[in-house]
Amino acid sequence: MEASNRAADFIPAGLASFGIEADEVELAVIGAAHAIFWPPILALLELDTSAVPAERAPDLSRPPLPL
Amino acid sequence: MSPDPLDLSLRGQAAAVAAGEADPAELLDAALARIEQRNPAINAVVEIFPERSSEMAAGAPDGPLRGVPVVIKDEWPLPWRAQRFGAAEMITPSAPGESGPYLALRAAGATIVGVGNMHELGSGSTGAISCYGPARNPWDTERCPGGSSSGPAAAVSARLVAGAVGADGVGSIRYPAAYCGLTGLKPTFGRSAMAGHHMADVSTTIVSGPLCADAADCRLLGSVLFGEELAGGDAAGLRIGIVRDTVTDDVAPAVRDACEAAITALREETGGEIVEVELADLEAAALATVLIANTEGLSGLSPARLNSLSPELSPIGRGLLKYRMLLPAAASVKAHAVRTLMRRRLAAAMEGIDVLAWPTVPAVAPPLAAPLVELPSGTLSADQANVRGAALANLTGVPAINVPVGFADGLPIGLQLQAAWGRDELLLDAAEALERANGRRWVEALPPLAQAATETTEA
Repeated sequence: MEASNRAADFIPAGLASFGIEADEVELAVIGAAHAIFWPPILALLELDTSAVPAERAPDLSRPPLPL
Repeated sequence: MSPDPLDLSLRGQAAAVAAGEADPAELLDAALARIEQRNPAINAVVEIFPERSSEMAAGAPDGPLRGVPVVIKDEWPLPWRAQRFGAAEMITPSAPGESGPYLALRAAGATIVGVGNMHELGSGSTGAISCYGPARNPWDTERCPGGSSSGPAAAVSARLVAGAVGADGVGSIRYPAAYCGLTGLKPTFGRSAMAGHHMADVSTTIVSGPLCADAADCRLLGSVLFGEELAGGDAAGLRIGIVRDTVTDDVAPAVRDACEAAITALREETGGEIVEVELADLEAAALATVLIANTEGLSGLSPARLNSLSPELSPIGRGLLKYRMLLPAAASVKAHAVRTLMRRRLAAAMEGIDVLAWPTVPAVAPPLAAPLVELPSGTLSADQANVRGAALANLTGVPAINVPVGFADGLPIGLQLQAAWGRDELLLDAAEALERANGRRWVEALPPLAQAATETTEA
């Protein structure tokens, strides 16, 4: 089954599952954000990072520890 | 006629006070007068507290900023004022307190003269939304000042003060620095004062940092925020990395030309070299940064909390908060994997270069009424376009700086330099070299609002 980026499906169902209320303007904002973010989120999920050794609790003030 | 001391650089004001040539109380009065005169046009400073400021000026210790007025972003609590985060309502409770930047400024002898406006909840690169009304760009008051540190940048650009403290979670110092023609340093993660921030315990992207006219002033204010001297060097033989990606290619032609000219000038000034480097997946890195930054504060959100948001929050703010609940957990996990990937790639790239250079933002400040930018790929929201260039430094933790490098249509253009972890000093050295290379004309340029005053004077 192909992933859907149809906000009409995802947003009301998602909000309803949490019991989150949203007015028309908020729904329009969420729809616009979803249109921007969802396609790259799907692409991100497909990105192969399996070859990257995990960096547990990285210290962001320093470079990663050598492999 | 001697110049108004408020038109001196930050270091010039500090030197004048130290030499007895300027008085902290007089500087404070001058800053308050400037705010009264110029702030109505730009809405940069949203609150002043003359009695508190006078107490700071009168009791200032003999530190590196004794008696020098500064502005602090509405992101940091003060002992007499809780931060509002540019919003009618914060998700996390806030209270007055002695934040890290406040303590650092007080110990340095600075006078906090006012609180700077910011983009609502820190969630925008334009400064177009705020519970105080938007701050305005001093170069064109119909244009965005950049965000989220909109007020600090506009205040320095209009020379209400010579230095301001901002915060940068996803570009929030560098965007307004670029839009307002300032030098803005996003420090290495964890290196600058962060205590007291409402996200201090959970954020892995936010840092405090200085916004000033030039690199020398950022070095001074940055040293205060870092709690250690940021020693100067010469950036000789600088190896400047460039990439071929959307951050350099999908950019307005005038911005691309100015940045390329600046990179060439920097190479010539330092006797260095330009090195093309491979840094794949920058778009994924930008999304990963947004996902991490937008989910780290989710523990304060619940459906019930979201259903009771203040109607005074903007509809965009309310909608984006609610959308955060719909972001898939798998994407957040993946975002952290991308962080690891990019940290390793960047570390490898930095072995062959000293700085990485690309445009801070892909276009000059857009109109407040419609924050959209025209790029070769088409029309994009400024937020969507800006994050591409800024995110990597927040994702990986490295320092980054915006340096003014030109103008298009009367609006500033900024070049971003990034360095390896802990090499903040090198970024300041490189920025100073770039200033020398272009005769300091971009850092000394004054917006119309400030042109009545005398020019910034070097110490």
